[in-house]
Formats: sequence, structure tokens, C-alpha cells
Amino acid sequence: MTANPTLLAFDTSGPWCTAALIHDGRLTVRTDDMAKGQAEHLMPMLQEMLADQGLGFTDLDGIGVGVGPGNFTGIRISVSAARGLALGLGKPAIGVSLLEALVYDTARPAIAVADARQGRIYAQYFGANGPDDPMMLDLESDPVPDAWIQEKPVLIGAGGDALAKLTHSAVETPPTPLNEAIARIALTRLDDPYVPPAPLYLRPADAAPARDTAPVILD
Amino acid sequence: MTRQAIILGLESSCDDTAAAVLRVPEKGPAQILSSVVADQARLHEAFGGVVPEIAARAHAEKLDTCVKQALTQSEMSLSQIDAVAVTSGPGLIGGVLSGVMTAKGLSAATGLPLVGVNHLAGHALTPKLTDDVAFPYLMLVVSGGHCQFLIVRSKSDFTRLGGTIDDAPGEAFDKTARLLGLPQPGGPSVEREARSGDPNRFALPRPLLDRADCNMSFSGLKTAVLRARDAIVAEKQGLTRQDRADLCAGFQAAVADVLAGKTKRALDLYLEENPSEPTLAVAGGVAANQAIRAELETVCTQSDTRFLAPPLSLCTDNAAMIAYAGGLRFLAGEADDLTLSARPRWPLDQTQPALLGSGRKGAKA
Repeated sequence: MTANPTLLAFDTSGPWCTAALIHDGRLTVRTDDMAKGQAEHLMPMLQEMLADQGLGFTDLDGIGVGVGPGNFTGIRISVSAARGLALGLGKPAIGVSLLEALVYDTARPAIAVADARQGRIYAQYFGANGPDDPMMLDLESDPVPDAWIQEKPVLIGAGGDALAKLTHSAVETPPTPLNEAIARIALTRLDDPYVPPAPLYLRPADAAPARDTAPVILD
Repeated sequence: MTRQAIILGLESSCDDTAAAVLRVPEKGPAQILSSVVADQARLHEAFGGVVPEIAARAHAEKLDTCVKQALTQSEMSLSQIDAVAVTSGPGLIGGVLSGVMTAKGLSAATGLPLVGVNHLAGHALTPKLTDDVAFPYLMLVVSGGHCQFLIVRSKSDFTRLGGTIDDAPGEAFDKTARLLGLPQPGGPSVEREARSGDPNRFALPRPLLDRADCNMSFSGLKTAVLRARDAIVAEKQGLTRQDRADLCAGFQAAVADVLAGKTKRALDLYLEENPSEPTLAVAGGVAANQAIRAELETVCTQSDTRFLAPPLSLCTDNAAMIAYAGGLRFLAGEADDLTLSARPRWPLDQTQPALLGSGRKGAKA
């Protein structure tokens, strides 16, 4: 690993373009809120952040990218850009989930919780021995795992309030901003075996099998 | 010496993820160094048509791999590429966005110019790419998402003579296959069944054929197939294989008649311009249908016009045509920057009023 790697991380999984640049051990961040237009805004914004530090994309040793869960299109905007950059630079792009970022630098056990709308949450349990798989929970109909109620791990993130009504545990806001957390987590994984970043949807594609039923064929 | 450029092209506007590397000269035919197409047919099979979200998910995780394969097969490295061309519309927006963002990432990383390409321009310029056909030529783009007649006058000058006002014929083939319990994609399966069918048994409509313009409609034809099917099912609680074959043959004949009839009108308008080498070229998956193709060829023979169908791999969606159209833009000194937008709708001929109602879903221009 480069002694003091330069890493750029970004995320468009919600109504924002947010990014963090680590260079010479220093952190610079930027968040531009926007409901739409991330695809047009993201790359010029990253370019400006790099230029402000006298850098260009070719100075990067790696890329961190938020893979969701969140807005499907938004996640793909960042993941596609990161994969294109990684291929063009010959440097790794590391996918970091929103749920991992929420509990970055927090005590364990903890549960990362994000709002999934329509009465649902995205949640992931991070225990002392590592995380469980992330999941989408319908708070009306899906059972909450027993351990979450017995252990009462702290809930971190938006959507925690709704889950707290069932688990009666404390709710905290994430200690590290999303852009910085993605960058710091990605930095620790620069030398891991390379896995291209992939969106973390946790929600199936909205698609119903064809409604037309085929006629009976008379033989 | 003729100027030329090595272009990397990306395409992801429907259900094919594609990348290609081409050597594009300023004049003369281009050389395809590689053309990779990863289709998603199996992902969409159960849904009886392309599901936009499923397509977008697949594109996002396949595009960079396709680019790598295209580079490897062309024995080129990114450092030998002169520009990155990408479909920036029209099409299913999720896929187009993935392509545009991948291309922006590549462009930002390498400093290579970024060139946005209209998917329809890719199809419309394919006869130039394969056969160096002289301008102006008449183009019929007929696929699952598009159906229109274009006079192609230059790399950026297109006149739309007419097109579908609702569905594209490829969609109607898929729907017919679904209605009759045939596998997707519907084009090849309906064509196969139609071979043993009687095209005259069912009187299916030829929508808009009574109108003098070059516009078409295929939505009502789907409904007519549904009605004819339901009438048989009501009578005998099912379809015999012969019923099914006859419905397929009748449907295919109706589509072929409409396309041939409207092609005749489009040819009349085109030939008024006294083109130096009268040519009708086709593109799109529906152009692969042999019965339709035969009728179009007959129309051309009758009016002393050359009929040109590029090889199937360049008729259906591919990235070679995108690299080519992008290459022509690049050689003319045109390029886009990192703010390039993905556009779900993007008519080639900006002077004509929109054909399709704004309520239509799917890839339309």
C-alpha cells in the first residue's frame, strides 16, 4: 500500500452529491444537496474538489463509493462512475454500504438503520464478532430478530425511531458524516482482494410476471 | 493521408450491454476491431418483455466488463484510444445513465474526449459504416422500441418522414407471442410458427394504411390478435397448433403489409430528391424477419432502389454503431464534457413534431 494514499469517495444514494477526499492524511469534504441532476453534477464536482487541492483524477490511489441502500438510480450513477474511473485509472474502486458508514467508529453491538419508506427500514446488525447480513424490514409485518430486543443494541441512523418502538433501545445519530465514513472505510480496504463495487439494493426490482396467461393448446 | 480515429463505444439503452472498438476514418468504411454484446434475454424471459429496472441493474454491473473484453479482443489499450463514445439517449433511462456515467468515469480517468451519441443515429449511420452508402439514403429503423423512416443526408442531418404513433412492431411481436403462449423474444418465435400458418385465415387490420402519410400504428393490431384468439378460445376452450400458426402468419402478414405499404410512400418522397445511388437500408431486430424483409425487397425492386440490410449483428443493438457515429462526430471536432446528460427522449429530426403521445412508456424518440 502507498504510504500515504490519496483517495476520493463519493455517494449519490439520496438527494445529494457528497464526496470526501483524503490526501496527505488531510480530509476535505463537500456536499451539494439536489433532488435531481446528480448525473450531470457529480463528475465536475469531483474534478473541482481535486483541483482545489492541486490534484487530478490520475493522482488517486483508490476510489470509495457508496453502494446504498437508497435511491436505485442514484446508487447506479455513483457505482457506474466509480467502475469507469477504476477501469480508466487501473486503481481499485471500493464499495461501502450506507449501513456500514452509519456505524463507522461506533461501539458494538449496534444496528444501522435507514429509512426504506412505505413503513419499511433497511437495517443491519453489527455484533462484536462481525455484522449479520443487511436486510429490509417491514415494521408492520416482519418479525424483529429476538436478539435485537434482548440485547438492546444502540440504533444508529434515520429510521431508528420507528424500530426503537419495537426494540425499546436508544437511538443515536451517526458520529461520522457519510462522505467521510465511506472514505475512511474504503481506505482500510485498498489492499483487499479486488471486488468491483456493486449496488446494494435490498429491495427487489419492481416487476411482475406477464399477466397474460397463455391459452390451452389443444393437441 | 485520411485522418482516422480509434474509438471506444458503449451502448446500454435497452436490454443489450455492449462495447466495441473501431478504427473510423474520415471517409470510407470503418474497421470493427471488436464488438462485444452481452444480452439479457434470460433475465427478462419470465416477464414477457424488457423490465427497465432489471435491465438497469444488469447494465450497471456488466458495462465495465464488456469494455475490458472489447479492449482485449481489439488488442488495444486505453492509451491507444482517441475518444470514448456512449449512447446518451433515447432509451430506457436507467441503462442510458449507467452507460453515460461509466463513460464519464473512463473519460475523467484517462483525459480522453467524451462523445455522446444518439442511439438512432447509430442505427441510421450503420449503412455508412458497413457499405459506405452514398448520402442521401432512406432508412427504416424497425425494432422493439423504434419504428421510423429517415432520410439520412449526413452524419447529423436526418429528415423523419414518419413513424409509429404508438407501439413499435417488435413490441407487437412480443405481445403476440405472449398471447399465444410462445417464448420470448417474440420476433423469432412468431416467425417460426408463421411458416406453417395460413396468413389469410384471419382478417387482421392494416392500421393507417389508408392514409397517404408515412405514419404507422401497431397497437390496434395487438388488440385484434387478442380478439381473434379469444374468439377461438371461446369456441373450443383452447387453440390448436394450426390456429396458433394461422394467427402468427396473419399477424406477421399485417405487419409486413403495413411496413411495405408505408415504405412505398417513403420511397416516393425520397426518390423525388433524385439521390445518386437510390438505397433503402434497414436496421433493428424486426428487420431480421425474413417475410418482412422479402416484402421490402420487392418494393425496392419495383422502384429500382437498392435494398441493404447490414449483417444481423449490426442491425440489432450494438456498440460498433455507437463508436462509428461517435467517431464521425469526433473527427468533425465535436465532443461533450462531463456534464453530458442522459436523455430518455431525443428525436433525431428536431424539426418534426413529436409522433408519440407524452403518456407513452418505454424507449421512444
